[in-house]
Amino acid sequence: MASVSLAPGRARAGLRLMRLLPVAVVLVLIALLPQAGLYYVRLADDVLIYILLGMGLNLVIGYAGLLDLGFVAFYAVGAYTYALLASPQFGIHWPFLVILPIGAALAACFGILLGIPVLPLRGDYLAIVTLGFGEIIRILLNNMNSVTGGPQGVMMIDTPKIAGLALVSPRGFYWLLLGLCVVIGVLVLRLERSILGKAWAAIREDQDAARGIGIDTVRVKLAAFAISAAIGGLAGVIFASFQRYVSPESFTFNESILIVLIIVIGGVGNILGVITGAVALIVLPEVLRGVAQYRMMAFGFTLAALIVLRPQGLVPRSFGPARLMRWLFAA
Amino acid sequence: MTGLLLQQLVNTATIGAIYALIALGYTMVYGVLRLINFVHSELFMLGAYLCYGLLAVALGDVGAAPTLAITVAFFAVFAAVGMIGVTIERVAYKPLRSATRLAPMLSALGLSLFFQSAVQILAGPQPIRFPSIFPTTRVEVAGAVITTTQLGIIALAVLLMLLLAAFVARTRLGVLVRAVSESPRTSALLGIDVDRAISLIFFIGPGLGGLGGILYGSYYGIMYPTMGTIVGLKAFTAAILGGIGSIPGAMLGGFLLGLLEVAGTALLPVLSGGLLGTDYRDIFAFIVLVVVLIFRPTGLLGEQISEETMVYKRDY
Amino acid sequence: MSFVFSHVTKRFGSVVAIDDVSMRFEPGLIYAMIGPNGAGKSTLVNMAAGSYSVTAGSILLDDQPLQHLKKHQIAQAGVARTYQNIRLFDQMTVLDNLEVALAAADLRHTWREVLAPGYARQAATRRRQVCLQYLREFDLDDAADAHAELLPYGRQRMLEIARALVAGPRVLLLDEPAAGLNSAETESLKHRLLRLRRPDRVMIVIEHDMELVMSLSDRIYVLHHGALLFGGTPHEVQANRDVQEAYLGTDDDLDAIHELARNRRAGRRLRDETGAVRHPA
Repeated sequence: MASVSLAPGRARAGLRLMRLLPVAVVLVLIALLPQAGLYYVRLADDVLIYILLGMGLNLVIGYAGLLDLGFVAFYAVGAYTYALLASPQFGIHWPFLVILPIGAALAACFGILLGIPVLPLRGDYLAIVTLGFGEIIRILLNNMNSVTGGPQGVMMIDTPKIAGLALVSPRGFYWLLLGLCVVIGVLVLRLERSILGKAWAAIREDQDAARGIGIDTVRVKLAAFAISAAIGGLAGVIFASFQRYVSPESFTFNESILIVLIIVIGGVGNILGVITGAVALIVLPEVLRGVAQYRMMAFGFTLAALIVLRPQGLVPRSFGPARLMRWLFAA
Repeated sequence: MTGLLLQQLVNTATIGAIYALIALGYTMVYGVLRLINFVHSELFMLGAYLCYGLLAVALGDVGAAPTLAITVAFFAVFAAVGMIGVTIERVAYKPLRSATRLAPMLSALGLSLFFQSAVQILAGPQPIRFPSIFPTTRVEVAGAVITTTQLGIIALAVLLMLLLAAFVARTRLGVLVRAVSESPRTSALLGIDVDRAISLIFFIGPGLGGLGGILYGSYYGIMYPTMGTIVGLKAFTAAILGGIGSIPGAMLGGFLLGLLEVAGTALLPVLSGGLLGTDYRDIFAFIVLVVVLIFRPTGLLGEQISEETMVYKRDY
Repeated sequence: MSFVFSHVTKRFGSVVAIDDVSMRFEPGLIYAMIGPNGAGKSTLVNMAAGSYSVTAGSILLDDQPLQHLKKHQIAQAGVARTYQNIRLFDQMTVLDNLEVALAAADLRHTWREVLAPGYARQAATRRRQVCLQYLREFDLDDAADAHAELLPYGRQRMLEIARALVAGPRVLLLDEPAAGLNSAETESLKHRLLRLRRPDRVMIVIEHDMELVMSLSDRIYVLHHGALLFGGTPHEVQANRDVQEAYLGTDDDLDAIHELARNRRAGRRLRDETGAVRHPA
């Protein structure tokens, strides 16, 4: 961006204001959203859950470079953990804040369990096996009637209580999800910049050379799997507590695909891309109400077209939050 | 006792034949491009829907279709799905030949979704009754009840596989296909039109898969937009089991998987004391897949991957 | 400290690529492995680094057998290598290429890095300093934040060597480090390699550039058809009859070549007993 040399200090300040203004506007909108109608808050909640899920899957696809097509399984584990520990199903009613880490940890365990046999496999085989794993979990949930309630699922799940305050309305969940997204987002960013993140990048570049410099690729990939699964599980717990009803129908292969779409269309390996993708894929169909049933068709076509024409997605990897910050605050 | 055994044998052969036919599509594409054609499962589904659609449009009533109409539909579906396969390769795979291996997979995923949704919108998400293309009579042989549909499927599938084997082994185009499958680069250096061979493979493989869809519909009596996912996964497992890249392997794998599935569903309730019912049939194929991929990824008849080719740069 | 190949054999199916090769490498010296193409040099390096399995025999680093270890374990044990066709992490920065080689073997501290920004800053600064040091040694510090793929070829080679060194390896395997370098760069490479000699480090170089090999190495192992032909100082190697024959052919071969040349000059075509035209072997 060319800068005209007026009194340079004032010009610079003017430019900075120009860039920061839209950011300020966005922040204000985010803060004021709960004042809008319930419909908009619900929509925002939806977007936020998908941002959370997207950040989790992005760790595996975008950072470690593994195509996990069964991510929905970890989402389901988290959801059912809360459903079974806080409902009349077994008569257990543990508090929300206790189940949250349990759900994440359990999902992480499933991630490791899936990862160990599957990670030594080659990329395309890994994709198919993870796909099958996702389907297996759904079939199991559908059939273990005595435990999971089968196709009917689990109903009347408890309302979560945080610090004595019951979370009932979408507005309360909005703040919870927003806070969680920020916290997880920061954690994920720090992970990306840590030495583990660089190990992931090395594996993405040249797995064999990475081994040659001493990186235990299986373990590093396993870490990606487990952490992404934990995030998925976290999202699942919140989903269950929000909907207060879970059934296998929420955890189909199409759901996994949707999350993959969010990441790939939005921009792989980039949190800004995840946010863009979630907004695009959740909000747009709502806005274009009339053609909603063509949604999946459009998504599928867009994915194929993007991969061929613009594989880096809408927001390329190089334009991450760090670069955005620099662009906003640099002279 | 023999009746039960015979019955299960015929069941196995029928479902195995269908799996084998679809598996051929996976294995042929993999053999030449080292690529899992994700869209193949939707092409299988399209075969069933196209057949039904053609007959419905031409005759009005699909139920009592004359043999001539069915035969014409058969060839038409083969050609149509084959052409779709060729187009998909040109548009969605060819531009990505130099990209990462993840790219064609994602592209295929997108197309898969596209086709599934398109069919769902055009024909509705509910299962549609699919009348068998064979005359439906039941035959009692040694205490087993076999339908002519089953016999028809087995006979037709075996015929198609024999035709394919003869094509690949005897004709000039077949030799072309084999050469390019063995080594695209060497073939190109020898002046062989690699792209033409690839197009041919993408015509035959998906074409056979589409026919598999017709047979599947005939056997199970229904078709639905999402039938590709599970069946595709199983057929892929069959291809891996037999040795991905090997045509006889796909045929062997198909029948073997049919056997494992039938045996598994019969034994599962017995083995687990009634805890696990036959709904877990689908999990069976998946377990086979994981076991094979972990312990013997080249399958039964697949090429032995030498150590030299295993040291690759990009895993995905 | 010693690095030993003990009766190492490698078969690919029915092809014997390496046939009962035994070699010993001492620290503080530069060893070169030479031989015609297909002699097995890269195969040996790949086995030492863990890319290929060892069919028979053992590879020992200070009496610790390496042949059954996984590639990353061998690297962690102190064996570092470069590749014939450069394999850098192209889209990572020059600095990151080194940092990941320095610290990625031990990722246990990642959690502290993620949760404690202060610790993260310290660790990152420490890593950066160490790596910048190496970059300075190889005249790469000005490009520290550039993507590795943007470096010119010669500097990429240097980066690959730097990356191999950063973790302090006990064995350094360089697979044709001079390939693609001009004579000035080759000379510079030679001096750098000479400076890298240390009493606790074994250096093995595969090379085809004979001038470089003769002036750089302290000891040379000559391989031919997968077997060890000869091992000794450059002087001994040059004087050795077997080596000369392997590279240049025997005296009989030489006579035959001279005769063919004479005949061709005379415009004559040779015919054998049956009268068919004899083509040169």
